[in-house]
Amino acid sequence: MKILSLFSRAHGFNDQLEQSRERLYRVAYAWSHDAALADDLVQETLSKALKSHGQLREPEMLNSWLFSILTNCWRDHFRLQRETEDIEEVEDFRCVHETTPEDEHAQTQIVGRVRGAVARLALGQRQVLTLVDLEEFSYAEVAAILEIPVGTVMSRLCRARRALKEMLQELAPVQSAQVSHIRRVK
Amino acid sequence: MKQDDSVVSDEFLNAFVDDQLEAAEKSHAFEAIGHDDTLKERVCELRGLKEMVKHAYAHPPARVPAVKGRRSRASYLQALAACMLLCIGAASGWFAHVWTGMGSDREMARLLQSVQHNDVGGEPQKIIVHVSSSNPVRLKSALDETESLLDAYRRSNRPLQVEIVANGGGVDLLRADVSPYAKRIGMMQEKYPNLGFMACGQTIKKLREKGVDVQLLPRTGVASSALDQITRRLKQDWVYIKV
Repeated sequence: MKILSLFSRAHGFNDQLEQSRERLYRVAYAWSHDAALADDLVQETLSKALKSHGQLREPEMLNSWLFSILTNCWRDHFRLQRETEDIEEVEDFRCVHETTPEDEHAQTQIVGRVRGAVARLALGQRQVLTLVDLEEFSYAEVAAILEIPVGTVMSRLCRARRALKEMLQELAPVQSAQVSHIRRVK
Repeated sequence: MKQDDSVVSDEFLNAFVDDQLEAAEKSHAFEAIGHDDTLKERVCELRGLKEMVKHAYAHPPARVPAVKGRRSRASYLQALAACMLLCIGAASGWFAHVWTGMGSDREMARLLQSVQHNDVGGEPQKIIVHVSSSNPVRLKSALDETESLLDAYRRSNRPLQVEIVANGGGVDLLRADVSPYAKRIGMMQEKYPNLGFMACGQTIKKLREKGVDVQLLPRTGVASSALDQITRRLKQDWVYIKV
């Protein structure tokens, strides 16, 4: 019976992990704006979560625990990137963060404009903003996930939203001042 | 979260929008916002921003397969599964090929014999033999059967015309430097002027594009493509046999 309950618990844990996949991916994408990288980060997060299953003492903390792992994976990714200095990776990063897809899109669609603006935020601000807005974590939870004080969470969030507001105004399509009216000419 | 009555900070409003205030602070915020239109506007703005961020990432782009340098475990598993499928496919293809190969040789002999026996109308028989495999055993059996047929017709003084059309691996039969039966084909051509050989132009073109120097046996024709040649012959009432 004990073995059976162990199996069912493990099965339940796997299901929970699978259910978290979409949410982890959404946040990983909001941090990286790179679908392939986001997918890899999520895979790595889930794989680490499976391996260190035993470390999760309180099951209700699963969600923030998973996002802590994602944060670590993200950090590792940058550390590796600095060490290897792969020119292709640097190019990818530059493209993703500064040029075409987001910016071009930004001119036409609100989704693109917001993603473009979020991509231009400082990394720390981007992380806080997305964890609060997309995942609705409390400030205390975000502080624990990112291992920073609550005060820093609040100030980063405040700066992020201020910057976002300015950027969205900047990126808004310019309305033509000259509005041509239809006139009837006899 | 202490708050000065006179100035409401952005941090405080953010916390209000994110529902991070204690009950007492929240009532204080509601009261302040109710009396101040500027505050109301700021709260609206913050809520709008929050909603916009949510909306922007509601449907992130579909996940793509991992690219070079960032292979995940899942992609390795997929690659492994693909390799296994390939092996199974190749193995089953090989066995099927062997069986059907044997079958088609027998089939060819049967067809050739039926052609031999059913020549009732006295019309000249015209047979097109399609070779698409480079398997030497099958090539040999095609040549054997064709030769015995030609021989039988000659002995009984009946007219017969045979054309062997080769494409794909079958073109090897007609390549001067590759063909295992170059000498035999030469002898057959000498012996039977009613036997012709055609190679597929498309296959030769592809081989040449790959940098292969294709030299055909003497007196071998080149069709624009094997398909064209076969279609043309079928329209002219030739009998088609696939090796």
